[in-house]
Amino acid sequence: MDMTVSDSRPFCACSTPPGTSGIAMIRVSGEGAGKILDRCIRIIRTSSDAERISDMPGYTSAYAEFYDPSDKSSIDKVIITRYTAPHSYTGSEMADISCHGGTAVKQEILSVLISLGMRYAEPGEFTKTAFTAGKLDINEAEAVMSVINAESEAALKAANSQLNGRLSKRLAEAEDLLYRAMALIEMIVEFPEHDDTPENDSEVISLTTEARDIVAGLRDSYGKGRILTESLRIALCGLPNSGKSSLLNALAGYDRAIVTDIPGTTRDTLELTTQIKGIPVTLIDTAGIRRTGDKVEAIGVERARQACADSDLTIYLAACDEDADEITAQMKELFENNDNSKVTLVFSKSDLGINPGGDKIRQAAQDLNITAIAEVSSEETIRDEAGLAQLKDLITDYYEKAGGSSSSDIIVLAKRHSDLLAAAAEQLDMAISTATDGLGVDIMSSVIRAALDNIGKITGKTVSAELADTIFAGFCIGK
Amino acid sequence: MNIEEALKTENAYYAGEFDAAVVGAGHAGCEAAHACAKLGLNTVLFTLHLDSIANLPCNPSIGGTAKGQLVREIDALGGIMGKVADSCCIQMRMLNRSKGPAVYSPRAQMDRNSYSHAMKCLLEKTDKLLIRQAHITELLTDDGRVCGVMTESHAVYRASKVVICSGTYMESRTIRGEVIALTGPDGLSRSVGLSASLAEAGVPLLRFKTGTPVRVNGRTVDFEKLTRQDGEHDIPPFSYDNEMRGGKVPEEQVPCWSVWTTDETREVIEANMDRSPLYSGVITGIGPRYCPSIEDKFMRFADKNRHQIFVEPLGRDTEEMYLQGFSTSLPEEVQIKMVHSLPGLEHAHVQRSAYAIEYDLVDPLSVRPTLESKVIEGLYTAGQVNGSSGYEEAAGQGIIAGINAALSFLGRKPLILDRSQAYIGVLIDDLVTKGTQEPYRMMTSRAEYRLFLRQDNCDLRLTPIGHEIGLVDDERYKLFEEKYKKIDEEKERLAATYIAPTDELAELLESVGSVRPPSSVSLAELIRRPQVSYELLATVDKGRKPLPDDVIFAVQTDIKYEGYLKLEKDKIAKFAELENKKLPRDIDYEAIGGLRLEAGQKLNKMRPENVGQASRISGVSPADIQVLLVYLELKKRENRDGRQ
Repeated sequence: MDMTVSDSRPFCACSTPPGTSGIAMIRVSGEGAGKILDRCIRIIRTSSDAERISDMPGYTSAYAEFYDPSDKSSIDKVIITRYTAPHSYTGSEMADISCHGGTAVKQEILSVLISLGMRYAEPGEFTKTAFTAGKLDINEAEAVMSVINAESEAALKAANSQLNGRLSKRLAEAEDLLYRAMALIEMIVEFPEHDDTPENDSEVISLTTEARDIVAGLRDSYGKGRILTESLRIALCGLPNSGKSSLLNALAGYDRAIVTDIPGTTRDTLELTTQIKGIPVTLIDTAGIRRTGDKVEAIGVERARQACADSDLTIYLAACDEDADEITAQMKELFENNDNSKVTLVFSKSDLGINPGGDKIRQAAQDLNITAIAEVSSEETIRDEAGLAQLKDLITDYYEKAGGSSSSDIIVLAKRHSDLLAAAAEQLDMAISTATDGLGVDIMSSVIRAALDNIGKITGKTVSAELADTIFAGFCIGK
Repeated sequence: MNIEEALKTENAYYAGEFDAAVVGAGHAGCEAAHACAKLGLNTVLFTLHLDSIANLPCNPSIGGTAKGQLVREIDALGGIMGKVADSCCIQMRMLNRSKGPAVYSPRAQMDRNSYSHAMKCLLEKTDKLLIRQAHITELLTDDGRVCGVMTESHAVYRASKVVICSGTYMESRTIRGEVIALTGPDGLSRSVGLSASLAEAGVPLLRFKTGTPVRVNGRTVDFEKLTRQDGEHDIPPFSYDNEMRGGKVPEEQVPCWSVWTTDETREVIEANMDRSPLYSGVITGIGPRYCPSIEDKFMRFADKNRHQIFVEPLGRDTEEMYLQGFSTSLPEEVQIKMVHSLPGLEHAHVQRSAYAIEYDLVDPLSVRPTLESKVIEGLYTAGQVNGSSGYEEAAGQGIIAGINAALSFLGRKPLILDRSQAYIGVLIDDLVTKGTQEPYRMMTSRAEYRLFLRQDNCDLRLTPIGHEIGLVDDERYKLFEEKYKKIDEEKERLAATYIAPTDELAELLESVGSVRPPSSVSLAELIRRPQVSYELLATVDKGRKPLPDDVIFAVQTDIKYEGYLKLEKDKIAKFAELENKKLPRDIDYEAIGGLRLEAGQKLNKMRPENVGQASRISGVSPADIQVLLVYLELKKRENRDGRQ
């Protein structure tokens, strides 16, 4: 009996992200996939003497022509890699077709495959099939998700290490400590009259504390993991023409935003994702807001406030040629009553002079508890300036601190893992306090058990009914 | 062999028909027979020795860690062990008092002869129940279904439900050094032929061993050299019924004693290890790790120089004392030297020798969670015959086997207690799902939800079930409802009663190391503080009415542990999700793609009732369970789509 009895047709999907790209990959899986491909692909060159796709040995590739069998018209020249069951990602017969990345080409290839009897893959179906075929454990499946979503090299590195089981290994250490603590508790409880029974629970507490530190460290590492998978968000704000776009371009390393000297050019918030020192960063250029009675501007202020609130870091630019009263008024509007420890005040266009109201602005910053201050110019030279370097350091510092107390080189990437670790850490804290409060060890062991359950949901040692569905629902189509 | 064939054997005669026949009147058999009869079945209970009904051939005590919980659960369901134990108690203690209410475990020393006698009298007075001294040698079956039993003297009984509770008697032999005797425990005669009859019918058998220590005459012991251990009085009796009616543990109690082994003990054992049947290979059955013989303790824990031995009375009037922790299968003369190596027992007179005992049992993996056999319809097994050890474990299975035999006879839905409901549920689930490699002893650590499975709330968990089934009568159920009404009312009152942070209150709180509350607080909030007890607040709680101890205990426990209990209830809800996913009986697991081969084979063999049980089968991994869940989901969608 096949696991996919509900529809046993081979399925296909584009594995590369939607939109136009240089090259795209279409993946097909399922028994009979090769036979279907025979009817729409002509091999031009391959390492074996196979003339049809279904005759190709596994792990070989062919340069081939993909055509529409209804009128024999050529669609694209493709590279096809064949996998035979069970030696494939999904465990069944499989092929990857690399084609040119235009939307039309991808659509045509997929519609030919459908017309020949395949069906579109359901979200996450490739991985689900791989999982049910016993090819992946839950951790690996989630790491694959992270690989798909990881945008930067650092994320890939962390995801790879997770695939290799480093997270599981570290968690196994914590589990081992907790099982030892539980065993001691059981000795105390089960054999109250036994002379081997420990006098008190001090060893239980120290084992639990050690495990808590591991778990809490991993939990904290998600601060970095989140940045690696979702990027560090930096909001840039200031009056129109305060040099936000110049700074954004300088940080991004290329001209992304249109830089003009007509105030108000950047009317809506603009997002740009780049990497700074290997850290994925999203720069949010908020609209420059002039203080007028304009309703649209009022909405703009609210939007900027929100952008700052949602960001990891906020940079407020104060140009040398802007009115200091207007700057301080806007700063108040944006930052009053907030925790402004993540806000940096940047004096921009420093090459054009010094703002005569500089002291006033500094005083306003001080009143708002904004302590970080930098200075950048408006010219091309900005890229080599100390001010820019200072901002970049701010970013790397923030990234490093996002990992909290975690000194470990293992970075947790999935939100689900982080939530479970947070719950487990909290329970272990609770367990430790039950002991110090003098509540019975029965409570302590119950809470430790609950923490172990949560850790087990990451290592796959606990089974919960909703787990598989939650994981699979998180997969994008085609992987 | 069926009824007709049995009646054709030499001197055979037809002895009558019963709805249920229970074989063996140990702790499992007594509960099973009592439950069957109470539920209205005409029941016969067979025993090899009428004077050894509910015998306590090992420890003269009932209860202890996890076991105490079992006794109270049996009582809450409407069983009899707790009541009989209350009536024969000569000392009672609550173990683990300092370790939290979840692991409080009552244990009582029994007057051994009284216990057996009291149980016999109770059963004799039970309607619809007849006791018969007879040696059952043959299980009668017809087409895979039970139809009766035959005795050694070829009396043929017809019965559509048979509960076998053979304890350690089937094909047993007792061993002391080189001396092997073909007897059951205590030198009583053994059961011969029944296990062969089971094997012939296709029931898989195992062979285990266990053991018991020597008994000495107390008059020959110098108690000056021993440490005295007295009983306690502020403990509820085992039976909730007794507790709710104000019953107390006996005022006058008998002490126990403890003593340590000496270097001489070790030397005697070491010098004679070559005569141990365990080490010489005479004994092949598998013994329990949790109750090792004294020679086992010295051999396996070589770094420990001494072991503690408890000296327990066998009754109020008798001088016979039991040496707990001194079980051995070494030869008699070595046993005597070993006893004499103990301080205070230098001149002790040994009244009975220690021995090891080997016996046949049914592989519990061939038994369903209802305790009905997967091989023979209508056959139930309970107690040591299912691989457990201990009186309480036996009785816990006995009552379930009896209930299910009766419910099945009456065409009613079976009773399966799950792991979140009772220690009995944990016990049976472990046995029938994981099997056992040694006599299985109940331990609190085997229960995942022990904060909820407490000795004080067995009635809350099980009395409604017992009442619905018909084992708990209306009168007792009314008392139960009143008790919990009082508990709920008092909890509500404590949550709604606020008191001001007066100096009087602060002084009271500071006296136990707590602090003055910043503003008015509810009494419940104060009780939640680790140092504060319900009793402590008596002087500041003006609206308090006198309440029974059991109500106060429950109120205090519920309030103090509310947060933790909630955590546990959440876990139980999660657990129930898998437990509620039923597995159809006709699945071919080996044909499910993605299940590992081993898992497919195991599941086909075990045929679990639900995904939860499947997840506990050894060789089935969490990933396999995920596959099963995906499979069930696909099947569900397929069925749904198919209907459209």
